[in-house]
Amino acid sequence: MIEMRKIIKEFPGILANDQVSFNVNSGEIHALLGENGAGKSTLMSVLTGLYRPDGGDIYIEGKKTEFSSPKDAVNYGIGMVHQHFKLVQPFTVAENVMLSIKDLKQIYNLKEIEQQIIKQSEAFGLSIDPKAKIWQLSVGEQQRVEIIKLLLLGARVLILDEPTAVLTPQEANALYETLLKMVKNGKSVILISHKMNEVLENTDRITVLRDGKSIGTVHTKNTNEKELAKMMVGRNISDVVEKKSHRKNDKVLSLNNVSALGNNGLLKLKNISIDIYDGEILGVAGVDGNGQKELADTVAGLRMVKQGSVSFCGKDCTKSGRKKRIDLGISYVPEDRMTTGLVTDLNAYENMALKSYRKNHGAFIRWDKVRSDTDRLIQKFDVRLASTANPVKMMSGGNIQKLLLAREIDSDPKLIIAVYPMRGLDIGATDYVRRLLIEQSEKGKAVLLISEDLEDLLSMTDRIIVMHGGEIMGVVNPSETSREEIGLMMAGKRKVDLHES
Amino acid sequence: MNLKLLGNWEIKKTNSSSALKKFGISLTSIVLGLIFAGLFVLLTGKDPLKLYSEILQSSVGSAYGLSETLVEMIPLALCSLGVSLAFRMQLWNIGAEGQFYMGAFGATYFALFFSNLPILVMLPLMLVASFICGGLWALIPAIPKAYWNVNETISSLLLNYVAYFWIAYLVYGPWKDPKGNNFPLTKQFPDSATIPVFGNTRISYAIFLLLIIAIAMFFLIKYSKWGYEIRVSGSSRKAADYAGMSYVKNVLKVMFLSGAISGIAGMAEVSGVLHRLQQTISPGYGYTAILIALLARLNPISILLASFLMGGLLVGGFSLQTSGFPSSMVSMFQGSILFFVLAGEIFNNYRLVRKKA
Amino acid sequence: MKKINKIGVLTLVLAMILSVLLSGCSQESKPSTNEQASKPATEEKIKVAFVYVGPVGDFGYTYAQDQGRKYLESQMKNVETTFVENVPETADAERVFTDLAQKGNKIIIGTSYGYMDYMVNVSKKFPDVVFEHCSGYKTTDNLGTYFNRDYQARYLTGMVAGKYTKSNVLGFLAPFGTPEVIRNIDAFTLGAQSINPKVQVKVVWTNSWNDPATEKTAANSLIDAGADVLAMHVDSPTFAQTAQDRGVLAVGHDSDMSKFAPNSILVGDVSNWGPYFVQVVKEVMDKTWKPTQYFGGIKDGGIIDITPFSDKVDKDFQATVNAKKQDIMNGKFDPFSGPIYDQSGTLKVKDGDKAPDDVLLSINWFVKGVSGSIPKS
Ligand SMILES: Nc1ncnc2c1ncn2[C@@H]1O[C@H](COP(=O)(O)OP(=O)(O)OP(=O)(O)O)[C@@H](O)[C@H]1O
Ligand SMILES: [Mg+2]
Repeated sequence: MIEMRKIIKEFPGILANDQVSFNVNSGEIHALLGENGAGKSTLMSVLTGLYRPDGGDIYIEGKKTEFSSPKDAVNYGIGMVHQHFKLVQPFTVAENVMLSIKDLKQIYNLKEIEQQIIKQSEAFGLSIDPKAKIWQLSVGEQQRVEIIKLLLLGARVLILDEPTAVLTPQEANALYETLLKMVKNGKSVILISHKMNEVLENTDRITVLRDGKSIGTVHTKNTNEKELAKMMVGRNISDVVEKKSHRKNDKVLSLNNVSALGNNGLLKLKNISIDIYDGEILGVAGVDGNGQKELADTVAGLRMVKQGSVSFCGKDCTKSGRKKRIDLGISYVPEDRMTTGLVTDLNAYENMALKSYRKNHGAFIRWDKVRSDTDRLIQKFDVRLASTANPVKMMSGGNIQKLLLAREIDSDPKLIIAVYPMRGLDIGATDYVRRLLIEQSEKGKAVLLISEDLEDLLSMTDRIIVMHGGEIMGVVNPSETSREEIGLMMAGKRKVDLHES
Repeated sequence: MNLKLLGNWEIKKTNSSSALKKFGISLTSIVLGLIFAGLFVLLTGKDPLKLYSEILQSSVGSAYGLSETLVEMIPLALCSLGVSLAFRMQLWNIGAEGQFYMGAFGATYFALFFSNLPILVMLPLMLVASFICGGLWALIPAIPKAYWNVNETISSLLLNYVAYFWIAYLVYGPWKDPKGNNFPLTKQFPDSATIPVFGNTRISYAIFLLLIIAIAMFFLIKYSKWGYEIRVSGSSRKAADYAGMSYVKNVLKVMFLSGAISGIAGMAEVSGVLHRLQQTISPGYGYTAILIALLARLNPISILLASFLMGGLLVGGFSLQTSGFPSSMVSMFQGSILFFVLAGEIFNNYRLVRKKA
Repeated sequence: MKKINKIGVLTLVLAMILSVLLSGCSQESKPSTNEQASKPATEEKIKVAFVYVGPVGDFGYTYAQDQGRKYLESQMKNVETTFVENVPETADAERVFTDLAQKGNKIIIGTSYGYMDYMVNVSKKFPDVVFEHCSGYKTTDNLGTYFNRDYQARYLTGMVAGKYTKSNVLGFLAPFGTPEVIRNIDAFTLGAQSINPKVQVKVVWTNSWNDPATEKTAANSLIDAGADVLAMHVDSPTFAQTAQDRGVLAVGHDSDMSKFAPNSILVGDVSNWGPYFVQVVKEVMDKTWKPTQYFGGIKDGGIIDITPFSDKVDKDFQATVNAKKQDIMNGKFDPFSGPIYDQSGTLKVKDGDKAPDDVLLSINWFVKGVSGSIPKS
């Protein structure tokens, strides 16, 4: 139903799409796989009229078509849910929907829209309250609003860019049920994802991109993880990393009955006590929003402790701020890479100086040294970018993360806090980050790993603490626990209660 | 994003603005601005070519005009360097006018009440006083901004009026020249409180100060640790916190220095040109400086050039009248150029392409 | 950011080079246009320039000066005039005077007190140009001053105000406490008291020569304080409109303001600078001009006078005022004739004496009957 032929898209210094051909049938879920920077987002931006291709054509129902704006594409029934939603926070769901369809002069009445929303949500299992305000909704619910918007605009082809990266496992399952219902109704779905198992379970066909070129399209039922990985990276990916414990007996960090407030002024951390040892990877499990980010901020020195104390290598540092803790050797890979961990308006080497710029004496930064350090790290960590002089926002999502990790590890810290470090990374890169963190623990560094991926937690960590409502529900040993046990604790059951019953 | 346009041309968003293209666009913008303003001149039945040549003639076409353009450039460029520093950190200090007046106030205090000091003590003392007064004045909106995130735009603007009326109070009241027939002027500064000038021009040695500050600013922003902190804080406050930079301290420091530089401009004007304090010492330098800073995209060296341009327009403005053009025409010229330069910004990101047939 | 800035620099450099080039072209073309312009003229025209602090359309002070310029042009065939308006009393002013001198103006007239120092500076640089400064007190070899005895007309309009007040309170809007303003307020008060000894003059300071918004507020506050006839010494006719809106009377200043408030304006003083400008030009042409401090009165060709009376002023009283005007003209009477007491009751001008010019030009005290104080140093 849609066919892209020999699409070429060039950015300065990089061929993001190199003669990519790609087609989607009606009634199928088609996955787009590829490493970070392979050109997936670019290809979809071409399809939705956001970029104009430098070469190649798009055919819809056999007719050659040209889009000059995303609105054009929507008129042809093509819509995209971007990773960053475009919703107006203080407005209700219905008002947001109205904003986007007002342009098309179809419906104006808010009541009518509310009914339409309810109708669509019932048809596709997208339960949502049209009167709810956006800021009250979870990320998953906001995503549903985006999807409903596209449905009401008459989209027949939905493109989702890494939709499950921000969802809890339950939300992800619900999303796939919805998508299934939609293709049964004759719609098509294009799905960009790095999560191999999801792709294998839920799609009909898979197209793999590598370095801007299309490697091929396969039927999902005829392929497996290994083959896909090979198509993506061009070589075999070794199996799951073997993890041995390198935990030593020296305490690096200890929190004693720490409480802290969230951004909204409410208590987000309640009486947390944990110790992390040299060479240990301590995992933190929990449903997003249960205090993990506040925990990371508190350890990093970005959030003041309301009660309790923090000590690092045996010395009290409850009162010391972020700068002091950087000097102490606490590295931090924050969840929010684009505005916290990096300054996307600045270029790569300016970003690499973000923590080291104070190092040398005097009032000036040794930019020559920063530059050579940056070049070295880009080599070492295989960060792919067109030029270190370009603003970081021009880099692909995965490479941005690599750059950030490179900086945080290179500063030779004693403790690395990593929040969702694998989010949005391709299998190669995920694998790389896993190895990197384990390698750090082998070198005697402590790692505080906050993740939503239980597989990762179970395979990489020495201990896992489970958080719910700002409290620790219990600490488990990966080799002695089960996904079920962790799941129950994430839902608010204490470990002691579990074992009493 | 592609916008539809008439015919088979369309506007296309580009991420690739070559240096040459940007250069061409900025140039075209200025020329278009001049042409656009010229059309209005034509509408009033006057000859725009005569007007262009009049402006050029009087601003750069003669030694005197050139020297006067430099005289205007000094306060414009200093104030503009001041605001550009704050703008770097996304602090919208639009109080340069008030900081200019307060700088003049600080300098005048020493000129009037320590008039026996030798020039080599007097001028540095006046400089320091203007620096501190301008800086403290900018600190007033900076403190609520730093600690309680109170918007600095409005508070810095309102303080302009306070400064203006403070000077008014002084020159109508306690600082009025007793022998000045009751006119709102202080007495003339002693020679020791007057910045020397070049030959028989009105260009004072403050121009050296301007050059030093511009160059220092360039290195500060580009190579220094503090300049780096300013740039990071300006792009993302979260990133600044993350890197352990003290946002609060930087807001205070940046605003102080920003105001202090405008304060120096005030000293340069009263001590270098006017030689006394009076009710009105600026025809809006502090406001024009904002336009200049934006025009120059905050680059200190570009600010020098843009100030020269604006200074020339100001100088040309009054001679326009002697040729029969209304005085408001210069304001229109400034507005027109600025409008096209900002519009040109858009063309830095979009380009006109012919649709494939 | 880095890249963009380099380009910004380049652009501006190029723009500047371009501007210099263009100015070079225009310089080349200039002589030819001058030749063309001068050829048909048989006689060299003398160029006279005027520098105004306000707009010519202020219908007050600057308007009156500009009427003088127009009069000059109409009277003398071989005079060419230009003017520059809205010139602030800042560093800009010096440039405007220099510019005008460089453009070949032979006589340059500055009409605002604040131009004084700048005119002194520029006059020294252009010894061949004649400068005339209104209301100043500094002169050089080629800078003279001129002013009129506005207090004479003030006395007469004060008489009218004194006659028609019912509340015995007159209101006066004053910009600054300069001798000129104080002299006018004093003369106005003396004139009013000559008709109505109980009269009191309330003064409000607007701190600006031209600030219609403040003037309106000030006029309202005077009316609220009981004034039923208003006068002023600022540049715009705003106060008269306010007076008319509020149903009180007013006397005008500088130009005939009856058209702005026909129901309120009783009479006004009017400055008529034209004849003086003609005189200066003639002297310059005859090479007899000298820098003087000209201070002309009613008798000097109407450089200061009063406007026609409104119908509200009855004919007999008009005759009384006109008789007083005659007395001033032929020297039988002077408004500042003793005894004059200041606000504190100190005798300032003895009975039988007249205040000499140097006292009038630096007067800094209010006469008895004025309520309000002069902003002091
Ligand atoms: N606006 C842009 N300007 C310059 N280069 C760009 C731009 N957008 C993308 N690129 C480059 O094009 C290449 C492909 O990027 P794209 O975002 O399509 O990758 P992706 O497959 O979506 O990767 P990821 O999985 O990391 O999101 C990358 O090298 C990227 O740096
Ligand atoms: Mg992408």
